[in-house]
Amino acid sequence: MDKDKVQISISKELYDKALKFIKEQGGFNSVEELVEFLLREVLTEEEHVELSKEDEEKIKERLRALGYI
Amino acid sequence: MVRRVFILGLDSLPPYVLYEGHDGGGFKYLRSIVEDSARYLLESCHPPITVPAWIVMFTGKTPGELGIYGFRHRRVGMFDYYIINSNYIKYPAIWDEAGKKGLWVGIYGVPPTYPPKPVHGFMVTDFTTPDPNRTYTFPPWLKRELENVSGPTIFDVTYRSEDKDSVARDIRRMINNHLTQVTYLLKRKKWDLFIYVEIGIDRVHHAFWKYFDKRHPRFIDHPEYSKVIPEVYRRIDEWFSSIHNNLLKDSIIIIASDHGVKPMIGAFTINQWLIDEGYLKLKVNTQELRPGTDLREDMIDWKHTIAWGWGGYYSRIFINLKGREKYGVVSREEYESIIHSLRRNIENIKGPKGDKWYNSVYRPHELYPEVRGDAPDLMVYLDDLNWRPAGTLGWQSRYLPENDRGPDDAMHDWMGVLSIYDPEGTIPRGDLGVMKIGNVRNVIEELLFGRK
Repeated sequence: MDKDKVQISISKELYDKALKFIKEQGGFNSVEELVEFLLREVLTEEEHVELSKEDEEKIKERLRALGYI
Repeated sequence: MVRRVFILGLDSLPPYVLYEGHDGGGFKYLRSIVEDSARYLLESCHPPITVPAWIVMFTGKTPGELGIYGFRHRRVGMFDYYIINSNYIKYPAIWDEAGKKGLWVGIYGVPPTYPPKPVHGFMVTDFTTPDPNRTYTFPPWLKRELENVSGPTIFDVTYRSEDKDSVARDIRRMINNHLTQVTYLLKRKKWDLFIYVEIGIDRVHHAFWKYFDKRHPRFIDHPEYSKVIPEVYRRIDEWFSSIHNNLLKDSIIIIASDHGVKPMIGAFTINQWLIDEGYLKLKVNTQELRPGTDLREDMIDWKHTIAWGWGGYYSRIFINLKGREKYGVVSREEYESIIHSLRRNIENIKGPKGDKWYNSVYRPHELYPEVRGDAPDLMVYLDDLNWRPAGTLGWQSRYLPENDRGPDDAMHDWMGVLSIYDPEGTIPRGDLGVMKIGNVRNVIEELLFGRK
């Protein structure tokens, strides 16, 4: 196993639901991929009105290049 | 039974192209649909800019009610600006209302929808998305699904470049990327209302308008570049023709733009004008500044400054008001007379050869029933949008033949398009006059939920 990975256990019922979800929705090759993706999304979710400084600068730069500002 | 509504939003498409047929032969199929549609001239909002125009259309609120007067705003007393995003929109859009009523919605590329919000259906955000590595879809896993279908999502292009071949290639690549994703969503997802805004139309207009519009004062008939706009139209047209016959046969089709487009004659350096007229005083010698220098807070001699401005498609003017601004000098008593004189002086600005300009100057409360958020003191349009206000400094002349931010052939125009096609013929056909952008939401509501 990849040394940067760890094993976790989830209920069989949830695992089967996840498999069904992947089959229906596509976009993921395995339950591992789905779990990793969802956890990353949940743990980095931004709830602030303001974007991060970095993101705001990216947008400003783009809007400047586009001539909006 | 609910009628499905598909909205094809073509950013900056003018009546000149869609209704008057100056499309270089590109919109054959769309024009045949338009021929059988209810056709309105769509009157954009103040200001006629992508943000706020699309969100005015889909919330039915004025920019004043939304508190959105463009992409950027400044907080009271601050010189620097912030950029608005979807978190600033405090009114429900048509897709929120439709979702509440149990309809399935699909939203693709509507500015400004980043960061994405939960909807009853799915959402893919727009060109204001900072980075494709961010979560730009709802539900979040849709992003992966789309990238598996089309490769990485392309949100925008850089069109202010002299390398026109690369610009044309990038625009085509972006539009193809969007069309692949939208086709996938139309086929695979459940929807009753689908809104797809294609920003590539606006980008190709800005980059290639002088090669396309014979009315442009710098029109060039170019063997390659003059074909770029019609080719982009044709790509959209062929795509639409194929999906219309397969996936949208029974749907009501709305073709809309947020504003029009017209040739840009030149740019006018609004801050240099304010300096020359004694409203703005700098601590630095403007002759020593490099052309295109941004006005910075530390350059301004605030004790002797009455007003400063922003450029863009329109100009926003701010008065250095005491008690509001950090170094304010204009008293409340003086404010009205300064607004009055500044307005008159701007209205009297003439063209480079002393030719008359049709300048419009407004105070926000004259335009909107309610003025929320961070509005400027004055909103300025130069020569009915033929000239672009440039906020930068260091230029030899007030009049620039080109944009201060790089090559750009086009300015926005007041009139866009709104065409509604119902294959069941329940909608009257023909030219039905002018519709204000703020009324479009009611029209969509009627189509979706039935006549009130």
